[in-house]
Amino acid sequence: MKRTRTIQKKKQTPRPGRAIEKSKPGRTTVYIIGDGPIVAEYVSLCSSHGFSTVFDFNTPPETVPSFDSMLVRKSAQIPRDAAFALELTNVDLERKRRNIEMLDKVLPATTAIASSSVTITATEQASWIRHKSRLVGCCALPTLGQQLLIEIAPTVFSPAGTVQVVQRFFQSLGKEIELVQDRVGMVFPRILCGIINEAAFALQDEIASPRDIDTAMKLGAGCPVGPIEWADRIGLAQVYAVLAALHNDLGEDRYRVAPLLKQMAVSGTWWHRALALSEERQSL
Amino acid sequence: MIKHLGVVGAGTMGAGIAQVAALAGIEVSLYDINGTVLRQALERIKTALKLGIEKGELTENQTTEALAHIHPRTRLGELNHSEIVVEAVIEELRIKKDLFKHLEADTKSTTILASTTSSISITAIASATRHPENVVGFHFLNSPTSARLVEIVQARQTSPESVQRSIDFTTQLQKTAVLVQDSPGFIVNRMVQPFYGEALRILGERVADAGQIDRILRVLGGFDLGPFESMDAVGLDLCLSVTQSMHAQTFGEPRYRPHPIQKQMVDSGMLGQKSGSGFYKHHEHE
Repeated sequence: MKRTRTIQKKKQTPRPGRAIEKSKPGRTTVYIIGDGPIVAEYVSLCSSHGFSTVFDFNTPPETVPSFDSMLVRKSAQIPRDAAFALELTNVDLERKRRNIEMLDKVLPATTAIASSSVTITATEQASWIRHKSRLVGCCALPTLGQQLLIEIAPTVFSPAGTVQVVQRFFQSLGKEIELVQDRVGMVFPRILCGIINEAAFALQDEIASPRDIDTAMKLGAGCPVGPIEWADRIGLAQVYAVLAALHNDLGEDRYRVAPLLKQMAVSGTWWHRALALSEERQSL
Repeated sequence: MIKHLGVVGAGTMGAGIAQVAALAGIEVSLYDINGTVLRQALERIKTALKLGIEKGELTENQTTEALAHIHPRTRLGELNHSEIVVEAVIEELRIKKDLFKHLEADTKSTTILASTTSSISITAIASATRHPENVVGFHFLNSPTSARLVEIVQARQTSPESVQRSIDFTTQLQKTAVLVQDSPGFIVNRMVQPFYGEALRILGERVADAGQIDRILRVLGGFDLGPFESMDAVGLDLCLSVTQSMHAQTFGEPRYRPHPIQKQMVDSGMLGQKSGSGFYKHHEHE
Protein backbone atom coordinates (compact mmCIF):
# COMPACT_ATOMS: atom_id res chain seq x y z
CA MET A 1 0.00 0.00 0.00
CA LYS A 2 2.65 2.41 1.12
CA ARG A 3 4.74 1.79 -1.94
CA THR A 4 1.91 2.37 -4.38
CA ARG A 5 1.15 5.68 -2.79
CA THR A 6 4.74 6.83 -3.20
CA ILE A 7 4.74 5.87 -6.83
CA GLN A 8 1.51 7.78 -7.42
CA LYS A 9 2.95 10.79 -5.72
CA LYS A 10 5.96 10.76 -7.99
CA LYS A 11 3.80 10.57 -11.07
CA GLN A 12 1.59 13.47 -10.00
CA THR A 13 2.11 16.73 -11.81
CA PRO A 14 2.10 19.83 -9.63
CA ARG A 15 -1.49 20.91 -9.04
CA PRO A 16 -2.43 23.95 -11.12
CA GLY A 17 -3.26 26.80 -8.82
CA ARG A 18 -0.47 26.11 -6.34
CA ALA A 19 1.50 29.04 -7.72
CA ILE A 20 -0.93 31.66 -6.48
CA GLU A 21 -1.49 29.84 -3.18
CA LYS A 22 2.23 29.80 -2.45
CA SER A 23 2.95 33.34 -3.63
CA LYS A 24 3.50 36.07 -1.07
CA PRO A 25 0.78 38.69 -0.67
CA GLY A 26 1.68 41.90 -2.45
CA ARG A 27 4.19 40.10 -4.65
CA THR A 28 1.82 38.10 -6.76
CA THR A 29 1.89 38.71 -10.48
CA VAL A 30 -1.27 38.35 -12.55
CA TYR A 31 -1.16 38.32 -16.33
CA ILE A 32 -4.19 39.51 -18.31
CA ILE A 33 -4.80 39.36 -22.04
CA GLY A 34 -7.91 39.76 -24.19
CA ASP A 35 -10.36 42.19 -25.77
CA GLY A 36 -10.03 45.88 -24.88
CA PRO A 37 -12.72 46.98 -22.41
CA ILE A 38 -12.85 43.87 -20.22
CA VAL A 39 -9.03 43.75 -20.00
CA ALA A 40 -9.00 47.37 -18.83
CA GLU A 41 -11.67 46.51 -16.24
CA TYR A 42 -9.63 43.62 -14.81
CA VAL A 43 -6.34 45.50 -14.89
CA SER A 44 -7.71 48.22 -12.64
CA LEU A 45 -9.51 45.67 -10.46
CA CYS A 46 -6.43 43.47 -9.95
CA SER A 47 -4.02 46.34 -9.37
CA SER A 48 -6.38 48.01 -6.89
CA HIS A 49 -6.44 44.72 -4.96
CA GLY A 50 -2.67 44.69 -4.70
CA PHE A 51 -1.71 42.34 -7.53
CA SER A 52 1.28 43.17 -9.64
CA THR A 53 -0.53 43.30 -12.98
CA VAL A 54 0.96 42.70 -16.41
CA PHE A 55 -1.38 42.94 -19.37
CA ASP A 56 -1.72 43.08 -23.13
CA PHE A 57 -4.56 43.75 -25.56
CA ASN A 58 -5.31 41.56 -28.59
CA THR A 59 -5.85 44.79 -30.44
CA PRO A 60 -5.10 48.05 -28.65
CA PRO A 61 -8.32 50.09 -28.18
CA GLU A 62 -8.56 53.48 -29.86
CA THR A 63 -7.99 55.23 -26.58
CA VAL A 64 -5.61 53.26 -24.38
CA PRO A 65 -6.65 53.83 -20.78
CA SER A 66 -3.91 55.06 -18.44
CA PHE A 67 -3.61 53.09 -15.23
CA ASP A 68 -2.54 55.22 -12.30
CA SER A 69 -0.70 52.48 -10.50
CA MET A 70 2.90 51.44 -9.94
CA LEU A 71 1.67 47.85 -10.06
CA VAL A 72 0.56 47.94 -13.70
CA ARG A 73 2.76 47.18 -16.68
CA LYS A 74 1.83 46.59 -20.33
CA SER A 75 3.90 43.93 -22.01
CA ALA A 76 3.67 41.62 -24.99
CA GLN A 77 5.90 39.20 -23.04
CA ILE A 78 4.16 36.83 -20.66
CA PRO A 79 5.96 37.11 -17.30
CA ARG A 80 7.25 33.64 -16.37
CA ASP A 81 6.61 34.30 -12.70
CA ALA A 82 2.89 35.03 -13.19
CA ALA A 83 0.98 33.14 -10.49
CA PHE A 84 -2.38 33.53 -12.20
CA ALA A 85 -3.47 34.26 -15.78
CA LEU A 86 -6.67 35.67 -17.21
CA GLU A 87 -7.51 35.12 -20.87
CA LEU A 88 -10.47 37.35 -21.74
CA THR A 89 -10.99 37.00 -25.50
CA ASN A 90 -14.55 36.41 -26.79
CA VAL A 91 -14.50 37.59 -30.39
CA ASP A 92 -11.42 36.29 -32.24
CA LEU A 93 -11.23 32.61 -31.27
CA GLU A 94 -8.12 31.88 -33.37
CA ARG A 95 -6.33 34.59 -31.45
CA LYS A 96 -7.73 33.14 -28.23
CA ARG A 97 -6.30 29.74 -29.08
CA ARG A 98 -2.85 31.24 -29.79
CA ASN A 99 -3.00 33.14 -26.49
CA ILE A 100 -3.90 30.04 -24.50
CA GLU A 101 -1.32 27.83 -26.21
CA MET A 102 1.32 30.45 -25.48
CA LEU A 103 0.26 30.77 -21.82
CA ASP A 104 0.46 26.98 -21.49
CA LYS A 105 3.94 26.94 -22.98
CA VAL A 106 5.40 29.82 -20.96
CA LEU A 107 3.78 29.53 -17.53
CA PRO A 108 4.78 26.89 -14.97
CA ALA A 109 2.31 24.02 -14.57
CA THR A 110 1.35 25.32 -11.14
CA THR A 111 -0.19 28.47 -12.63
CA ALA A 112 -3.96 28.33 -13.18
CA ILE A 113 -5.60 30.04 -16.14
CA ALA A 114 -9.09 31.51 -15.89
CA SER A 115 -10.36 31.89 -19.43
CA SER A 116 -13.54 33.50 -20.69
CA SER A 117 -15.79 30.64 -21.79
CA VAL A 118 -18.69 32.70 -23.13
CA THR A 119 -18.27 31.98 -26.84
CA ILE A 120 -16.45 28.63 -26.61
CA THR A 121 -16.60 26.11 -23.78
CA ALA A 122 -13.72 25.92 -21.32
CA THR A 123 -13.48 22.18 -21.94
CA GLU A 124 -12.86 22.74 -25.63
CA GLN A 125 -10.22 25.34 -24.79
CA ALA A 126 -8.52 22.95 -22.35
CA SER A 127 -8.32 20.35 -25.11
CA TRP A 128 -5.96 22.71 -26.98
CA ILE A 129 -3.21 22.55 -24.38
CA ARG A 130 -0.89 20.11 -22.65
CA HIS A 131 -1.72 21.00 -19.03
CA LYS A 132 -5.46 20.63 -19.49
CA SER A 133 -6.28 20.71 -15.81
CA ARG A 134 -5.03 24.26 -15.29
CA LEU A 135 -7.80 25.97 -17.25
CA VAL A 136 -11.13 26.97 -15.70
CA GLY A 137 -13.87 28.87 -17.55
CA CYS A 138 -15.28 32.20 -16.43
CA CYS A 139 -17.76 34.72 -17.73
CA ALA A 140 -16.03 37.82 -19.01
CA LEU A 141 -18.48 40.02 -20.83
CA PRO A 142 -18.21 43.75 -20.27
CA THR A 143 -21.37 45.10 -18.72
CA LEU A 144 -22.46 47.91 -16.43
CA GLY A 145 -20.11 49.26 -13.81
CA GLN A 146 -18.43 46.93 -11.40
CA GLN A 147 -19.47 43.31 -11.63
CA LEU A 148 -20.14 41.97 -8.15
CA LEU A 149 -20.62 38.39 -9.27
CA ILE A 150 -18.88 36.05 -11.65
CA GLU A 151 -19.93 32.80 -13.25
CA ILE A 152 -17.25 30.10 -13.08
CA ALA A 153 -17.39 26.99 -15.27
CA PRO A 154 -15.11 24.06 -14.38
CA THR A 155 -14.11 21.84 -17.33
CA VAL A 156 -14.26 18.04 -17.39
CA PHE A 157 -10.52 18.15 -16.64
CA SER A 158 -10.63 20.63 -13.73
CA PRO A 159 -9.55 19.22 -10.35
CA ALA A 160 -11.61 20.57 -7.42
CA GLY A 161 -8.50 22.18 -5.95
CA THR A 162 -7.88 24.28 -9.05
CA VAL A 163 -11.52 25.38 -9.17
CA GLN A 164 -11.23 26.48 -5.55
CA VAL A 165 -8.11 28.51 -6.31
CA VAL A 166 -9.90 30.26 -9.16
CA GLN A 167 -12.89 30.91 -6.90
CA ARG A 168 -10.66 32.36 -4.19
CA PHE A 169 -8.91 34.57 -6.72
CA PHE A 170 -12.19 36.15 -7.86
CA GLN A 171 -13.43 36.36 -4.27
CA SER A 172 -10.28 38.30 -3.40
CA LEU A 173 -11.39 40.81 -6.06
CA GLY A 174 -14.68 41.22 -4.17
CA LYS A 175 -16.88 39.03 -6.34
CA GLU A 176 -19.57 36.52 -5.45
CA ILE A 177 -19.19 33.19 -7.26
CA GLU A 178 -21.77 31.09 -9.08
CA LEU A 179 -20.52 27.73 -10.34
CA VAL A 180 -22.34 26.85 -13.57
CA GLN A 181 -22.04 24.10 -16.17
CA ASP A 182 -19.55 24.63 -18.97
CA ARG A 183 -21.84 25.62 -21.85
CA VAL A 184 -21.59 28.24 -24.56
CA GLY A 185 -23.26 31.49 -23.49
CA MET A 186 -23.16 30.51 -19.80
CA VAL A 187 -26.10 32.18 -18.01
CA PHE A 188 -25.97 35.95 -18.16
CA PRO A 189 -24.57 36.44 -21.70
CA ARG A 190 -27.08 33.95 -23.11
CA ILE A 191 -30.09 35.73 -21.59
CA LEU A 192 -28.91 39.29 -22.13
CA CYS A 193 -27.77 38.77 -25.71
CA GLY A 194 -31.10 37.02 -26.38
CA ILE A 195 -32.93 40.14 -25.24
CA ILE A 196 -30.67 42.34 -27.37
CA ASN A 197 -31.27 40.08 -30.38
CA GLU A 198 -35.03 40.35 -29.84
CA ALA A 199 -34.64 44.15 -29.68
CA ALA A 200 -32.74 44.00 -32.97
CA PHE A 201 -35.58 42.03 -34.59
CA ALA A 202 -38.14 44.52 -33.22
CA LEU A 203 -36.07 47.42 -34.52
CA GLN A 204 -35.61 45.76 -37.88
CA ASP A 205 -39.36 45.08 -38.14
CA GLU A 206 -39.94 48.76 -37.24
CA ILE A 207 -42.50 47.96 -34.57
CA ALA A 208 -41.17 50.72 -32.30
CA SER A 209 -38.43 53.34 -32.07
CA PRO A 210 -35.13 52.46 -30.35
CA ARG A 211 -35.91 54.97 -27.62
CA ASP A 212 -39.35 53.48 -26.94
CA ILE A 213 -37.97 49.93 -26.86
CA ASP A 214 -35.44 50.97 -24.23
CA THR A 215 -38.01 52.95 -22.21
CA ALA A 216 -40.47 50.06 -22.29
CA MET A 217 -37.90 47.56 -21.01
CA LYS A 218 -36.73 49.86 -18.23
CA LEU A 219 -40.21 50.73 -16.96
CA GLY A 220 -41.98 47.51 -17.89
CA ALA A 221 -39.48 44.74 -17.26
CA GLY A 222 -37.09 46.00 -14.58
CA CYS A 223 -34.13 46.29 -16.96
CA PRO A 224 -31.44 48.59 -15.50
CA VAL A 225 -30.62 49.91 -18.98
CA GLY A 226 -32.55 49.48 -22.20
CA PRO A 227 -31.26 46.63 -24.38
CA ILE A 228 -30.25 48.94 -27.21
CA GLU A 229 -28.18 51.21 -25.01
CA TRP A 230 -26.82 48.10 -23.28
CA ALA A 231 -25.63 46.60 -26.57
CA ASP A 232 -23.79 49.84 -27.17
CA ARG A 233 -22.01 49.63 -23.84
CA ILE A 234 -20.98 45.97 -24.27
CA GLY A 235 -19.95 46.45 -27.86
CA LEU A 236 -21.83 44.92 -30.76
CA ALA A 237 -18.93 42.70 -31.77
CA GLN A 238 -19.12 40.99 -28.36
CA VAL A 239 -22.92 40.60 -28.55
CA TYR A 240 -22.71 39.18 -32.05
CA ALA A 241 -19.95 36.76 -31.03
CA VAL A 242 -22.14 35.39 -28.21
CA LEU A 243 -25.22 35.01 -30.42
CA ALA A 244 -23.31 33.44 -33.31
CA ALA A 245 -21.65 30.99 -30.90
CA LEU A 246 -25.04 30.00 -29.44
CA HIS A 247 -26.51 29.52 -32.90
CA ASN A 248 -23.52 27.46 -33.93
CA ASP A 249 -23.49 25.39 -30.76
CA LEU A 250 -27.22 24.72 -30.34
CA GLY A 251 -28.06 24.69 -34.03
CA GLU A 252 -31.60 25.91 -33.48
CA ASP A 253 -33.42 28.54 -35.49
CA ARG A 254 -34.38 30.38 -32.32
CA TYR A 255 -30.74 31.47 -31.97
CA ARG A 256 -30.36 32.97 -35.43
CA VAL A 257 -28.94 36.47 -35.28
CA ALA A 258 -31.09 39.37 -36.44
CA PRO A 259 -29.64 40.48 -39.80
CA LEU A 260 -29.68 44.10 -38.64
CA LEU A 261 -27.56 43.24 -35.61
CA LYS A 262 -25.08 41.31 -37.70
CA GLN A 263 -24.82 44.16 -40.16
CA MET A 264 -24.17 46.69 -37.44
CA ALA A 265 -21.64 44.45 -35.73
CA VAL A 266 -19.55 43.82 -38.82
CA SER A 267 -19.73 47.40 -40.03
CA GLY A 268 -18.68 48.63 -36.61
CA THR A 269 -21.65 50.98 -36.47
CA TRP A 270 -23.15 51.49 -33.09
CA TRP A 271 -26.71 51.46 -31.96
CA HIS A 272 -26.71 55.12 -31.03
CA ARG A 273 -26.25 55.79 -34.74
CA ALA A 274 -29.41 53.79 -35.38
CA LEU A 275 -31.12 55.88 -32.74
CA ALA A 276 -30.04 59.11 -34.38
CA LEU A 277 -31.07 57.83 -37.82
CA SER A 278 -34.53 56.80 -36.66
CA GLU A 279 -35.07 60.19 -35.06
CA GLU A 280 -33.92 61.94 -38.19
CA ARG A 281 -36.38 59.89 -40.18
CA GLN A 282 -39.19 60.81 -37.79
CA SER A 283 -38.47 64.51 -38.00
CA LEU A 284 -38.56 64.48 -41.82
CA MET B 1 -57.13 67.36 -21.98
CA ILE B 2 -59.67 64.60 -21.57
CA LYS B 3 -62.63 65.46 -19.33
CA HIS B 4 -64.84 62.40 -19.76
CA LEU B 5 -63.61 58.82 -19.86
CA GLY B 6 -65.68 55.70 -20.31
CA VAL B 7 -64.48 52.37 -18.90
CA VAL B 8 -66.18 49.15 -19.94
CA GLY B 9 -65.73 46.16 -17.64
CA ALA B 10 -65.31 46.66 -13.88
CA GLY B 11 -62.83 43.85 -13.19
CA THR B 12 -59.39 44.51 -11.72
CA MET B 13 -58.16 46.19 -14.91
CA GLY B 14 -61.26 48.38 -15.46
CA ALA B 15 -61.51 49.44 -11.81
CA GLY B 16 -57.80 50.24 -11.76
CA ILE B 17 -58.09 52.46 -14.82
CA ALA B 18 -61.14 54.22 -13.34
CA GLN B 19 -59.22 54.87 -10.13
CA VAL B 20 -56.14 56.27 -11.89
CA ALA B 21 -58.24 58.50 -14.16
CA ALA B 22 -60.43 59.76 -11.31
CA LEU B 23 -57.32 60.71 -9.33
CA ALA B 24 -56.18 62.68 -12.39
CA GLY B 25 -59.43 64.66 -12.15
CA ILE B 26 -61.22 62.99 -15.06
CA GLU B 27 -64.97 62.22 -14.91
CA VAL B 28 -65.20 58.46 -15.28
CA SER B 29 -68.25 56.47 -16.34
CA LEU B 30 -67.54 52.93 -15.16
CA TYR B 31 -69.77 50.42 -16.92
CA ASP B 32 -70.38 46.79 -16.21
CA ILE B 33 -73.19 44.57 -17.39
CA ASN B 34 -73.29 43.07 -13.90
CA GLY B 35 -74.42 45.38 -11.05
CA THR B 36 -72.79 43.22 -8.39
CA VAL B 37 -69.41 43.38 -10.13
CA LEU B 38 -69.82 47.14 -10.37
CA ARG B 39 -70.56 47.50 -6.64
CA GLN B 40 -67.57 45.28 -5.81
CA ALA B 41 -65.36 47.41 -8.05
CA LEU B 42 -66.37 50.58 -6.20
CA GLU B 43 -65.62 48.91 -2.88
CA ARG B 44 -62.22 47.85 -4.20
CA ILE B 45 -61.43 51.36 -5.34
CA LYS B 46 -62.48 52.75 -1.92
CA THR B 47 -60.22 50.25 -0.15
CA ALA B 48 -57.30 51.05 -2.46
CA LEU B 49 -57.73 54.79 -1.91
CA LYS B 50 -57.94 54.30 1.87
CA LEU B 51 -54.69 52.37 1.69
CA GLY B 52 -53.23 55.32 -0.21
CA ILE B 53 -54.12 57.62 2.69
CA GLU B 54 -52.56 55.22 5.22
CA LYS B 55 -49.38 55.11 3.19
CA GLY B 56 -49.35 58.90 3.07
CA GLU B 57 -49.55 58.93 -0.74
CA LEU B 58 -53.01 60.54 -0.84
CA THR B 59 -54.93 63.07 1.21
CA GLU B 60 -58.50 62.63 2.50
CA ASN B 61 -59.57 65.39 0.09
CA GLN B 62 -58.03 63.74 -2.95
CA THR B 63 -59.82 60.47 -2.30
CA THR B 64 -63.19 62.11 -1.68
CA GLU B 65 -62.84 64.05 -4.92
CA ALA B 66 -61.68 60.97 -6.83
CA LEU B 67 -64.66 58.94 -5.63
CA ALA B 68 -67.01 61.74 -6.68
CA HIS B 69 -65.54 61.51 -10.20
CA ILE B 70 -66.50 57.84 -10.62
CA HIS B 71 -70.00 57.23 -11.94
CA PRO B 72 -71.22 53.63 -12.02
CA ARG B 73 -73.23 52.83 -15.18
CA THR B 74 -75.20 49.81 -16.23
CA ARG B 75 -76.21 51.02 -19.70
CA LEU B 76 -73.67 51.47 -22.50
CA GLY B 77 -75.64 54.45 -23.81
CA GLU B 78 -74.63 56.37 -20.68
CA LEU B 79 -71.06 56.52 -21.97
CA ASN B 80 -72.08 58.91 -24.78
CA HIS B 81 -70.17 61.92 -23.35
CA SER B 82 -66.87 60.09 -23.26
CA GLU B 83 -63.98 61.37 -25.39
CA ILE B 84 -62.19 58.09 -24.84
CA VAL B 85 -63.72 54.72 -24.00
CA VAL B 86 -61.39 52.03 -22.66
CA GLU B 87 -62.49 48.43 -22.83
CA ALA B 88 -61.31 45.85 -20.27
CA VAL B 89 -63.61 42.89 -20.85
CA ILE B 90 -62.82 39.22 -21.37
CA GLU B 91 -60.00 38.39 -23.85
CA GLU B 92 -62.14 37.12 -26.70
CA LEU B 93 -62.06 38.64 -30.17
CA ARG B 94 -65.75 37.99 -30.99
CA ILE B 95 -66.93 39.68 -27.78
CA LYS B 96 -64.61 42.64 -28.25
CA LYS B 97 -65.65 43.14 -31.88
CA ASP B 98 -69.29 43.10 -30.86
CA LEU B 99 -68.67 45.56 -28.04
CA PHE B 100 -66.78 48.00 -30.28
CA LYS B 101 -69.68 47.97 -32.77
CA HIS B 102 -72.07 48.93 -29.97
CA LEU B 103 -69.70 51.52 -28.50
CA GLU B 104 -69.33 53.18 -31.88
CA ALA B 105 -73.09 53.50 -32.19
CA ASP B 106 -73.41 54.97 -28.70
CA THR B 107 -70.59 57.54 -28.81
CA LYS B 108 -69.51 60.50 -30.91
CA SER B 109 -67.73 59.84 -34.21
CA THR B 110 -64.53 61.36 -32.77
CA THR B 111 -64.44 59.20 -29.64
CA ILE B 112 -61.32 57.10 -29.29
CA LEU B 113 -62.12 53.45 -28.65
CA ALA B 114 -59.30 51.69 -26.82
CA SER B 115 -58.75 48.08 -25.91
CA THR B 116 -56.53 46.95 -23.02
CA THR B 117 -55.91 43.56 -24.62
CA SER B 118 -52.47 42.04 -24.32
CA SER B 119 -52.91 39.27 -26.84
CA ILE B 120 -55.59 40.16 -29.40
CA SER B 121 -54.80 42.05 -32.57
CA ILE B 122 -56.02 45.66 -32.37
CA THR B 123 -56.18 45.58 -36.16
CA ALA B 124 -58.72 42.74 -35.98
CA ILE B 125 -60.82 44.58 -33.37
CA ALA B 126 -60.73 47.80 -35.41
CA SER B 127 -61.99 45.95 -38.47
CA ALA B 128 -65.40 45.61 -36.80
CA THR B 129 -65.97 49.38 -36.69
CA ARG B 130 -66.93 51.99 -39.25
CA HIS B 131 -64.26 54.37 -37.95
CA PRO B 132 -61.28 52.06 -37.42
CA GLU B 133 -59.00 55.14 -37.40
CA ASN B 134 -60.32 55.83 -33.87
CA VAL B 135 -59.34 52.42 -32.50
CA VAL B 136 -56.13 51.99 -30.48
CA GLY B 137 -54.65 49.66 -27.88
CA PHE B 138 -53.75 50.77 -24.34
CA HIS B 139 -51.59 48.09 -22.83
CA PHE B 140 -51.01 48.76 -19.13
CA LEU B 141 -47.96 46.95 -17.78
CA ASN B 142 -48.88 45.23 -14.51
CA SER B 143 -51.94 46.71 -12.84
CA PRO B 144 -53.05 50.15 -14.06
CA THR B 145 -52.57 51.63 -10.57
CA SER B 146 -48.95 50.53 -10.20
CA ALA B 147 -47.89 50.62 -13.87
CA ARG B 148 -45.57 53.43 -14.88
CA LEU B 149 -45.78 52.43 -18.51
CA VAL B 150 -48.55 52.24 -21.10
CA GLU B 151 -47.92 50.78 -24.53
CA ILE B 152 -50.01 52.68 -27.08
CA VAL B 153 -50.75 50.21 -29.84
CA GLN B 154 -51.26 51.53 -33.33
CA ALA B 155 -53.36 49.24 -35.51
CA ARG B 156 -52.99 49.24 -39.26
CA GLN B 157 -56.00 51.54 -39.46
CA THR B 158 -55.29 53.87 -36.48
CA SER B 159 -54.82 57.52 -37.47
CA PRO B 160 -51.78 59.53 -36.29
CA GLU B 161 -54.24 61.93 -34.62
CA SER B 162 -55.73 59.14 -32.49
CA VAL B 163 -52.21 58.06 -31.57
CA GLN B 164 -51.30 61.57 -30.45
CA ARG B 165 -54.50 61.96 -28.39
CA SER B 166 -53.77 58.59 -26.73
CA ILE B 167 -50.23 59.63 -25.85
CA ASP B 168 -51.53 62.93 -24.41
CA PHE B 169 -54.10 61.02 -22.36
CA THR B 170 -51.37 58.73 -20.95
CA THR B 171 -49.39 61.80 -19.91
CA GLN B 172 -52.54 63.17 -18.26
CA LEU B 173 -52.65 59.94 -16.20
CA GLN B 174 -49.02 60.69 -15.23
CA LYS B 175 -47.71 57.61 -16.95
CA THR B 176 -45.12 57.15 -19.66
CA ALA B 177 -46.36 56.20 -23.13
CA VAL B 178 -44.44 54.24 -25.71
CA LEU B 179 -45.76 53.75 -29.22
CA VAL B 180 -45.78 50.31 -30.79
CA GLN B 181 -47.17 48.97 -34.05
CA ASP B 182 -49.81 46.26 -33.66
CA SER B 183 -47.73 43.07 -33.49
CA PRO B 184 -47.67 39.97 -31.29
CA GLY B 185 -46.62 40.81 -27.72
CA PHE B 186 -46.19 44.53 -28.50
CA ILE B 187 -42.84 45.58 -26.96
CA VAL B 188 -42.55 44.27 -23.41
CA ASN B 189 -44.25 40.87 -23.74
CA ARG B 190 -42.18 40.25 -26.83
CA MET B 191 -38.88 41.37 -25.34
CA VAL B 192 -39.34 39.33 -22.15
CA GLN B 193 -39.60 36.11 -24.18
CA PRO B 194 -35.82 35.55 -24.19
CA PHE B 195 -35.66 36.66 -20.53
CA TYR B 196 -38.07 33.87 -19.53
CA GLY B 197 -37.46 31.46 -22.41
CA GLU B 198 -33.66 31.32 -22.23
CA ALA B 199 -33.79 31.13 -18.42
CA LEU B 200 -36.11 28.11 -18.72
CA ARG B 201 -33.81 26.46 -21.24
CA ILE B 202 -30.73 27.11 -19.10
CA LEU B 203 -32.63 25.52 -16.20
CA GLY B 204 -33.85 22.63 -18.36
CA GLU B 205 -30.31 21.93 -19.61
CA ARG B 206 -29.13 22.00 -15.95
CA VAL B 207 -26.55 24.70 -16.66
CA ALA B 208 -27.60 26.37 -13.40
CA ASP B 209 -30.56 26.18 -11.01
CA ALA B 210 -33.35 28.76 -10.70
CA GLY B 211 -31.89 30.43 -7.61
CA GLN B 212 -28.51 30.80 -9.29
CA ILE B 213 -29.99 32.19 -12.50
CA ASP B 214 -32.01 34.75 -10.53
CA ARG B 215 -28.99 35.81 -8.47
CA ILE B 216 -26.86 36.15 -11.61
CA LEU B 217 -29.48 38.33 -13.32
CA ARG B 218 -29.95 40.52 -10.24
CA VAL B 219 -26.39 40.87 -8.95
CA LEU B 220 -24.46 40.73 -12.21
CA GLY B 221 -27.16 42.04 -14.54
CA GLY B 222 -28.78 44.62 -12.30
CA PHE B 223 -32.34 43.50 -13.07
CA ASP B 224 -35.01 44.27 -10.44
CA LEU B 225 -36.08 40.61 -10.39
CA GLY B 226 -34.59 37.44 -11.78
CA PRO B 227 -36.63 35.61 -14.44
CA PHE B 228 -38.00 32.95 -12.07
CA GLU B 229 -38.91 35.46 -9.36
CA SER B 230 -40.58 37.49 -12.06
CA MET B 231 -42.53 34.50 -13.44
CA ASP B 232 -43.65 33.63 -9.89
CA ALA B 233 -44.89 37.20 -9.41
CA VAL B 234 -46.69 37.43 -12.75
CA GLY B 235 -48.17 33.93 -12.54
CA LEU B 236 -46.85 30.96 -14.47
CA ASP B 237 -50.19 30.37 -16.18
CA LEU B 238 -50.25 33.92 -17.52
CA CYS B 239 -46.62 33.68 -18.71
CA LEU B 240 -47.40 30.42 -20.49
CA SER B 241 -50.53 31.78 -22.15
CA VAL B 242 -48.71 34.89 -23.40
CA THR B 243 -45.94 32.72 -24.87
CA GLN B 244 -48.42 30.30 -26.43
CA SER B 245 -50.36 33.16 -27.93
CA MET B 246 -47.22 34.74 -29.40
CA HIS B 247 -46.08 31.41 -30.78
CA ALA B 248 -49.47 30.91 -32.43
CA GLN B 249 -49.73 34.47 -33.74
CA THR B 250 -46.30 34.24 -35.39
CA PHE B 251 -47.15 30.85 -36.92
CA GLY B 252 -44.56 29.03 -34.86
CA GLU B 253 -41.61 31.43 -34.54
CA PRO B 254 -39.11 29.28 -32.56
CA ARG B 255 -38.00 32.23 -30.41
CA TYR B 256 -41.43 32.15 -28.78
CA ARG B 257 -41.76 28.41 -28.33
CA PRO B 258 -43.00 27.61 -24.81
CA HIS B 259 -40.91 25.31 -22.60
CA PRO B 260 -42.19 21.97 -21.25
CA ILE B 261 -41.17 23.00 -17.69
CA GLN B 262 -43.72 25.84 -17.84
CA LYS B 263 -46.48 23.55 -19.00
CA GLN B 264 -45.69 20.92 -16.40
CA MET B 265 -45.71 23.45 -13.57
CA VAL B 266 -49.00 24.95 -14.71
CA ASP B 267 -50.47 21.43 -14.98
CA SER B 268 -49.35 20.73 -11.42
CA GLY B 269 -51.03 23.90 -10.14
CA MET B 270 -47.74 25.57 -9.20
CA LEU B 271 -48.60 29.00 -10.54
CA GLY B 272 -46.28 31.19 -8.49
CA GLN B 273 -47.13 33.61 -5.69
CA LYS B 274 -50.88 33.35 -6.17
CA SER B 275 -50.94 29.59 -5.58
CA GLY B 276 -48.39 29.63 -2.78
CA SER B 277 -45.64 27.95 -4.78
CA GLY B 278 -43.95 28.18 -8.12
CA PHE B 279 -40.22 28.15 -8.68
CA TYR B 280 -40.08 29.21 -5.03
CA LYS B 281 -42.25 28.53 -1.97
CA HIS B 282 -44.31 31.54 -0.93
CA HIS B 283 -44.94 30.97 2.74
CA GLU B 284 -47.55 33.64 3.37
CA HIS B 285 -50.07 31.51 1.46
CA GLU B 286 -49.53 28.37 3.50
